[in-house]
Amino acid sequence: MVEISVKQNTLTRPQRWDSPFDSDMTKADVKKLLAIEEIAAIKADRFPARISLEGILQNDTRIVAFKKGELVVREGDYGNSAFLILKGSLRIVLSPSLPGAILGRSKEHKRGFFDAVSQLWTSDWLPETRDPDRYGPTKTGAAKNAASTRIILQDIPAILDKHSTATINQGALFGELAALGRIPRTATVLADEDSELLEIRWQGLRELRAYDEGWRRMIDERYRQTALIAHLNEVPEFNHLNDEEIQLVADQCLFETYGSFDWHTSFKKLQNRSEADEPVIARQGDYPDGLLMVRAGFAREAVNHGTGKRTVTYLGAGDNFGMFELHNAWVNTNDSNLALGTTLTAVGYVDVIRVPASLLAEFVFPNIDAPVNMAEQSVGKSQSNDTLMQWAVDERFINGRQTMVMDLNKCVRCDDCVSACAAAHDGNPRFRRHGKTIDHWLVANACMHCADPVCMIGCPTGAIHRSLSGGTVIINDDTCIGCGTCANSCPYQNISLVQISDAKGNGLVDDQTHRPIMKATKCDLCSDQIGGPACVRACAHDALQRVDFKEFTS
Amino acid sequence: MANRYFLACLVAVIIAGTVLYIMDQMELNLAKSEILSGYTLLGLIVFLGAFNVRKKLSMLPLLKASTWLVFHVVGGLLCIFLFWVHTASIWPDGNYEIALSIIFYLVFFSGIGGFFIQKSNAIKLTETGIEVIYERIPAELSEIRERSEAIVLECTKTTSSDTVANHYIATLAWYFKRPRFYWPTLLGHGNAKTWLRNNQASVTRYLNEEETGYFNQLIELAELKKLIDEHYTLQDINKKWLLVHLPLSVGLLIISFWHVLLVEVFAI
Repeated sequence: MVEISVKQNTLTRPQRWDSPFDSDMTKADVKKLLAIEEIAAIKADRFPARISLEGILQNDTRIVAFKKGELVVREGDYGNSAFLILKGSLRIVLSPSLPGAILGRSKEHKRGFFDAVSQLWTSDWLPETRDPDRYGPTKTGAAKNAASTRIILQDIPAILDKHSTATINQGALFGELAALGRIPRTATVLADEDSELLEIRWQGLRELRAYDEGWRRMIDERYRQTALIAHLNEVPEFNHLNDEEIQLVADQCLFETYGSFDWHTSFKKLQNRSEADEPVIARQGDYPDGLLMVRAGFAREAVNHGTGKRTVTYLGAGDNFGMFELHNAWVNTNDSNLALGTTLTAVGYVDVIRVPASLLAEFVFPNIDAPVNMAEQSVGKSQSNDTLMQWAVDERFINGRQTMVMDLNKCVRCDDCVSACAAAHDGNPRFRRHGKTIDHWLVANACMHCADPVCMIGCPTGAIHRSLSGGTVIINDDTCIGCGTCANSCPYQNISLVQISDAKGNGLVDDQTHRPIMKATKCDLCSDQIGGPACVRACAHDALQRVDFKEFTS
Repeated sequence: MANRYFLACLVAVIIAGTVLYIMDQMELNLAKSEILSGYTLLGLIVFLGAFNVRKKLSMLPLLKASTWLVFHVVGGLLCIFLFWVHTASIWPDGNYEIALSIIFYLVFFSGIGGFFIQKSNAIKLTETGIEVIYERIPAELSEIRERSEAIVLECTKTTSSDTVANHYIATLAWYFKRPRFYWPTLLGHGNAKTWLRNNQASVTRYLNEEETGYFNQLIELAELKKLIDEHYTLQDINKKWLLVHLPLSVGLLIISFWHVLLVEVFAI
C-alpha cells in the first residue's frame, strides 16, 4: 500500500493576549497595582478565569511615566485607552485648543514613490500571502513606540496664560470617553508635574466595566459628566459661556440615551427597517420642554405623512432638535400652536442632552437668529427628493464617513476599481462591487469608516482600530487573531475573513486543530498608499466616489 | 468632467494650431513638414497607449483615470486630425500605408464606438433594476436552472400532471440552459420578451389553478433570467470591445514604429 504523507504548514493559533499592551509589565507591577485603592476595591472573584483581573492588569494595561510638560493625550486624536493617575497631577487644556504645531502632530506612514512603484514586482503573485514568522507572542508592545513619540511642551506658563485649563489629581480616571465611545479625544492633557499613569487599553476597560459594579458606576458617571461639559463647551449655542455658567447649564441638563449601544446586533436581524422600530425621543404634536442636542449617534427627524412618516432629515453629533419651536414660543408667547412640528426617533443608538427651556431663554435665545423650521421646509420638497435620504437612514448608511457610492448610470462594470484595490492589497480586493441599490446609486460592500464603528466593539486584541489621524478604521494584521468578531459585528457585511498562506501559496493552518488561520480584511482607504484610495483614482468614468452621506443627500 | 473636456479640447486646439503653424513655416523654408506631423502623431499615439499603462499603475498618484480618459478621447480625435494632415488625404497610397491606415481607422473607430457603447450600456444595465457581477452570471444561471427544475418536479409530484413538465422540456429547458437572445438584446430588440410571452400564453389555457401557481413561479424565474441575460450581453460587449481595441492599438504602435524606421532609413 502506498503511504500518502500530507505536509501541512502549521502555525500556533493566535490568542487574545499574544500581544500584551506592554510586554515589560511584571508580576510585581501587577501586585503593586492590586494594592492601589481604586483597583483594590475591585472584586476579583467576579471575573471569569479566562479573563482574570490579574490577566487584564498584566496584558491590557501598562504603567507609563510622564515628565512635567509631557503630553499625555492630544485633542482630536483617536485613542483606544483610558488613564488612571497613579502619582502626580495632570492639566487639561479646555479652551481654546492648543495649535497643531505645538501638539507636534505626526504624519502616518505613507509609502514613498519608489516604494509604491516597487509593489509591481515585490507584491506576491499569490493573494493573501504572509510571512508566518511575523505572528505569535511578541516583545514589541506599544510601549516601546510610545516613548519615542512623546512631546514635551516647553513654555507651560504661557499655555496657562492663554488657555483655560483644569487640574486632575491622583486617582482620577480620564480618556474613557474616547476609549469606549469610539470618538476623538475631546481635550489635550499634559503632565503638570512628574507623574505616573496606568494606561488601560479599551479591551481591558471594557472588561473592568463589565465585571465590576464599582468601575461600571464610576466609568458611566464620569462618562456622562465629562461628555456633558465637553459637549457644552463645543456647541456654538453655549461656547460663549464662562465656566460657572457652563457648570450651571450642565447641572440642569438631562443626559439621555436612546436605543441600544449594541444596535448592530438587532439591526442585522431586522428584515424591514423603518422608523416604526425606532425608539421615540420626541413626538410631533407634543410640547417641547427643552432643546435636544445630539451628542453621539443618529436620530431621524420625520413628519406625519399619509399613514406613515416622511423623513425630513437626520441628526448627528452636534445637531439640535426643537430649537425652532422653543424659540417661537419665546418670541410669540401668545401663539396658539407651539407644539413640535416633527418627530425625533433614535436610529440605532443616540446620546441626547436635554437642555431645559428656561436655560435657553436665559443664555441662548438672546444671542441667536430665528432658527429654521424643518417641518415647513419639507413641504416645499417632493417626496422623491427625500427618497435617497430616507433609504440611507433606513439602511443606516448615514453612519458612513467614507461610503463607497457608485453612480450606476456612469459605471461601465469594468471592475478597474476592483483590480486597482487588489493591486494595492496583497492581490486581493478589499471590497466587493456589489451591494444595495436605489435608483441609480449603489452602495458597495466597502468599509464606510463609520462615525460609530460598531465593528470595533468586542475585538479581543484591539486589532481593529481608528488611525491616529483622520479616523480611518484599520486592522492591524499582526494582532488580528481571525476570530471574526468584527466581521460579525459589521452591520453592512463589509469585513471579510480570508485564509492566509505562506509565500508558496500553501494555506496556513493551526498546528493543533489544523483549522485554517484566518485574518480579517477590509478597505483601509489605501492608508499607506501615496495617492489615497486606488479605487477612486482607477475609475475612468467618475462613477465611484467616497462620500459622507450627510453631504451626499443634502 | 465637462471642465476637463473643455481643458483637453483647448490643449488639443493649441497643439493642432502650433503644429499647423510650424508646418507652414517649414513649407516656406522648403523643409519636409511631414516630419513634424509624423513625429507629433507618433508621440500622441504613444501617449494614448500610456493610458493602459496608467491602469496598471493604480498605486501611483498619476492623476485620476477619469482625467486620463478625457485626454485619451480628445487625444484620439486630435490623432485623426493629425493623421489627415500628415497623409494629406483620408486614404493614402501605397500598400504599407494602406495597411497602416486600416489599422489606424480600426483603432480609432473601435475606440470611439467602445466609448459610446459603454456609456449607453451603463444606463441600459441600470434600467434592468438588478446588479450582477459578470463573473457570477454562470453561477446565477445555474441556480435559477436548479430552482426551475425543482419547481417542475414538485409541480408534477403534487398535481400528478405532466403538462408543465412537458412544456418545460420542450421550451423553457432550452431557455434556462445558458444565456439566450444575445444579438437581439445587443441590437435592442425585444425578442426575449416576446418569446417568453408566447410560450407563457401557449400553455396557460391547459393548466388548472394549482399548476398555474407553479407555472407562474417558473415565469418569475424566466423574467429574472431575462434580466441576467441582458446583463450578460451588455457587460460582455463592454468587456469585449477592448479585446478589439487593445490588440489593434499594440499593432498600430508596432507598425508605426516600423514606418518611422523605414522613413528614417530610406526617405530622409
